[in-house]
Amino acid sequence: MGSETRIGVFICECGSNIAGTVNCMELMEYAKSLPDVVCVVVNRYTCAEPGQQEIRRYVCEQDLNRVVVAACTPKMHEPTFRKCVSDAGLNPYLMEMANIREHCSWVHHFDKAKATQKAKELVKSAVARARLLEPQKELEVPVTQAALVIGGGIAGIQASLDLANAGYPVWLVEKAPSIGGIMSQLNKTYPTMD
Amino acid sequence: MIEEADFKCLRCGHEFKAPYEKGKIEERFCPKCRSNSVRHIKKKL
Amino acid sequence: MMDVGRHPRIKLLTYSEIEEISGYIGNFRIKIRRKARYVDENECTACDECVEVCPVIVPKEHQMGLASRKAIYIPFPQAVPSAHLIDIEACLGFDPIACSKCAEKCDKNCINYDDKDKIIEFDVGSIIVATGMDVYDPTEFDEYGYTRFENVLTSMEFEILTGPGGVTKGELIRPTDRKVPKSIGFIQCVGSRCEKRGNPYCSNVCCMNTIKDTLLLKEYYHDIECKVFYVDIRASGKGFEDFYRRSKGLGVKYIRGIPGDIREDPKTKNLILTVENTSKGSIEEHELEMIVLSVGLVPRYDSDVIQKLLTLSTTSDGFLMEVHPKLTPIDAPTSGVFFAGCCEAPKDIKDSVTQASGAAARALTILSQDKVKIEAVTSIIDEDKCTSCGICADVCPYGAIIVDKKAKIPAKVIEAACKGCGTCAAECKFDAIRMRHFSDEQIMAQLEAILEENPEEKIVVFACNWCSYPGADLVGISRMQYPVSPRIVRTMCSGRVDEKFILHAFELGAPIVLVTGCHPVDCHYIDAQQWAQRRVERLWDKLERKGIRPERLQLEWISASEVGKFVKTMEELEEMRKKVTREEIEETKRILSKIKK
Ligand code: SF4
Ligand code: SF4
Ligand code: SF4
Ligand SMILES: [Zn+2]
Repeated sequence: MGSETRIGVFICECGSNIAGTVNCMELMEYAKSLPDVVCVVVNRYTCAEPGQQEIRRYVCEQDLNRVVVAACTPKMHEPTFRKCVSDAGLNPYLMEMANIREHCSWVHHFDKAKATQKAKELVKSAVARARLLEPQKELEVPVTQAALVIGGGIAGIQASLDLANAGYPVWLVEKAPSIGGIMSQLNKTYPTMD
Repeated sequence: MIEEADFKCLRCGHEFKAPYEKGKIEERFCPKCRSNSVRHIKKKL
Repeated sequence: MMDVGRHPRIKLLTYSEIEEISGYIGNFRIKIRRKARYVDENECTACDECVEVCPVIVPKEHQMGLASRKAIYIPFPQAVPSAHLIDIEACLGFDPIACSKCAEKCDKNCINYDDKDKIIEFDVGSIIVATGMDVYDPTEFDEYGYTRFENVLTSMEFEILTGPGGVTKGELIRPTDRKVPKSIGFIQCVGSRCEKRGNPYCSNVCCMNTIKDTLLLKEYYHDIECKVFYVDIRASGKGFEDFYRRSKGLGVKYIRGIPGDIREDPKTKNLILTVENTSKGSIEEHELEMIVLSVGLVPRYDSDVIQKLLTLSTTSDGFLMEVHPKLTPIDAPTSGVFFAGCCEAPKDIKDSVTQASGAAARALTILSQDKVKIEAVTSIIDEDKCTSCGICADVCPYGAIIVDKKAKIPAKVIEAACKGCGTCAAECKFDAIRMRHFSDEQIMAQLEAILEENPEEKIVVFACNWCSYPGADLVGISRMQYPVSPRIVRTMCSGRVDEKFILHAFELGAPIVLVTGCHPVDCHYIDAQQWAQRRVERLWDKLERKGIRPERLQLEWISASEVGKFVKTMEELEEMRKKVTREEIEETKRILSKIKK
């Protein structure tokens, strides 16, 4: 891989969630004009397997070293796409998302032209950031194989039993002198009436 | 020391007085428009 | 319950409170205060002999004054652990001369008046929050006379009264004459689904609970007259509609309408309730011997403690907020933490158990691994630029930076302790700190891209990863609409928003800049948020000194659930943006570029 930056932009229609408001074709043409962008792909559902496959394919075929996914919020699919690019051999921190759904198509539903313009800028900003992204190494830390369950009501009891039966030590902490919570005060309970 | 100080809301322009303790940081909001853009107006000497 | 007490892998700590939680996914350190029981919980066989000799009688908890207990007691017969404890406030044994009857009586010498609270510390890899809920207190519904009429009970009190641990051992009696009532009324939605009083949400369990109560009543007391006053019956679970039908089939009357008020007949202590029957359109009066207020569920009174310890947030109803309402409904925003039961939202037993098993499975995805990866967003020090001033170490909420000011040794970051809030990088005056994945250059490049064309049409919004950014997401999910001008730039914490970024945005022609993040109580980096506020306050002064209107820099704390506040803020800022003229923007640019030179 040479030292030049090669960015692939993957625009998601999310069915009509994005494409119903943002003109994705216009967005695609625009994204092609951005610096270091070597390919732009529009998918119906980028997070679905065919969409992810496209990303992996383009990363290999086009020798991409940055990926921009213009789709939903990173709070939802950042882990998905990080994993996707890392399966294609790219460091996961070289993937950037442009949130053109929650922050654009869904909130500017009635002004398609302005929403498309905004989506362009969000992609432009993501590309600008992507150009400067660097690979990062995540710190790996050992896991203490025990759990804490806070609260000894019916939910805490069930969770503790499941974890303990799966073979892990559980600390169950309850504020009151006995476990049981509200349920222990109830008479028969629906739906079984016992 | 807690003293009464002048504040101005940078959202709606409302000016008001509220207790103020130097160096202490707390969530402030405008009593009129509820914005957090509330500025402590220092006395001009 | 018994299974928990006996399970070899469950360490049960009752009468205990969490004092401290530190660390991160895979590696939490927990500090617990185990309150003194004054009775050795392992030795006690719950033989009850101590109780017989104890001379102190106090009213028993949750029994409406209908029952009492001693100073040494067991909370209820099936308690786990099956052991007594001493209510030390009531006990006379603090002064052994006054009383030490129970200690003398106990053959196993379990009782120790000098018992002390113990601090226990341990490590875990994952945490499940199952702190439950409280029951709504209907005192504010004064028209129902809950505090005035003895025969008006809450559904919870009714439950306890008729429950296995109740005074009557399952026999239904009404408080005033201790006789089985001939008629009983249930009022639904007390404290639920009301914007003005109580809570706006549906508490989920009350309809079914009432239906269950009517079935039990009809089973034990065939002749009892049951009337249910409701707005609509929500019986949407599996098999629930059947229950409803059965209840109606047994002669329980369902009357659509919420009673206006209740009076008491001073002689019979019967209750007379007035209601507008909305199916018939008539005003009716019903005389009943007992009335049960079907009260809703509310967040636990002390849930803010756990919220602070684990930096969680709540939805507008006060219940703990999940990462995503549909896709990750069990995960807390803090990695490695999961929710089970009513702490997250009101639910019935079946749903609580279901979610608990889900939470256990989620926790297992961590516990079953030897190692977890931690996001590579941490700070790096440029030793050549660092002057060892120590500011970064002072602001870091986690003490993750060590600086030796005296020896002039440059700052050092403990990577595993750094959570990546970026406050140190924003505060360092010498640009000696670089944030991985959120570097100055990356953020500046975003600003330049956003403001390259028609900057006067845009509002630059710096939003934190935990509250305001997902808050803006929720606005989208809710399909609320707002002006098109805001351009959101994500940072991990509002503490990351460097003065430099804000000034750069103005220099590039931004009419309005907003810094938004978590409210101080919700801050995901303990208190890093405060540095954003300090910085903005400092900048207001600085902007004014330079001749730039401070109003153009705005501050707002918007939580992940405050969609209304987000939209309102955007609308207000749009109005402000329109008033910033091109001349003003040009003037600002001139001022700022001059300073640079
Ligand atoms: S990636 Fe996001 S925007 Fe695209 S289809 Fe999936 S959910 Fe929708
Ligand atoms: S604030 Fe900057 S200069 Fe001061 S000690 Fe920290 S890294 Fe060094
Ligand atoms: S201030 Fe924040 S970014 Fe800096 S070292 Fe501390 S936790 Fe890490
Ligand atoms: Zn105001």
